[in-house]
Amino acid sequence: MVTALLLLLPVVLFLYYSFDPATDPFFPICPFRAVTGLECPGCGSQRAIHSLLHLHPGDALAYNALMVLALPYILLGFWLEWLGGGKRYPRLQRFLFGRWSALVVLLLVLSFWIGRNVF
Amino acid sequence: MNRYFYIDTEGKQKGTFSPEELRQEPVKRDTLVWTQGMEQWKRAEEVAELSLLFDPTSSMQAPTMAAPQTSAAPTPQAQQMMPKSWMVESILVTILPFMLCSSFFSLLGIIAIVYAAQVESFFNRGDYAAAVEASHAAGKWTRIAMWIAIGWVLLIIIAIILMFVFVGSMAGLGELLNT
Repeated sequence: MVTALLLLLPVVLFLYYSFDPATDPFFPICPFRAVTGLECPGCGSQRAIHSLLHLHPGDALAYNALMVLALPYILLGFWLEWLGGGKRYPRLQRFLFGRWSALVVLLLVLSFWIGRNVF
Repeated sequence: MNRYFYIDTEGKQKGTFSPEELRQEPVKRDTLVWTQGMEQWKRAEEVAELSLLFDPTSSMQAPTMAAPQTSAAPTPQAQQMMPKSWMVESILVTILPFMLCSSFFSLLGIIAIVYAAQVESFFNRGDYAAAVEASHAAGKWTRIAMWIAIGWVLLIIIAIILMFVFVGSMAGLGELLNT
């Protein structure tokens, strides 16, 4: 499973680097947005990844701030789980990936979801 | 299987125990035992069902007798180690689909998170068996969500490649027609 992910990662990064999801038509469209017209918590993250890969962090934040901020968290999770970080810092893992942090993550996603559609 | 009483070294009657449970008790060959249907107390070595207690090779010959020993052994050390909680994986599997515009897959990740949280709380409560069960469930849902996400990404890549082949062949066709 992890190897499949690692194999896919460079392909995906290449695609997001070479093509701009904002202008090119063949990137997937959010089904939630297609049905309701509202933005889901992930909308804009493909454009954000493209902007980040071209070193435009400001644009990336404007497209989807939550996912840009979640990237370090995701990378940290990878490091803790598969690169041995969790064994060296078990307290860090328990703090960032425990029961309560899962709840906080879900609440953050939910409030971002509501917030971006209201404001 | 009969349940036995035995007389310990201080002369007290203890019981009842199944033959497996008697293995954990200080029963020797000359310990007096009794079970339903016996007219009087007998030495343990005279009871056919208990002969396995004193046979050193019995653990290999009789898997039913060996089973409680092996199942009893792991519990004390296992109680110190929490089963894999899958918390990191399940959180990642919930966040990542948002990035790939497949937010509905996040529901699978949320199921995994719920089970992963149960692992910790069951373990803290001391219910080791339930924690192991929740761990299996969390792992199952994480894997389902992850493979679906991988399949989704592959689908996108294939679609993009097909698109290019299509556009390329149309362009080639146009050139053919022009010449």
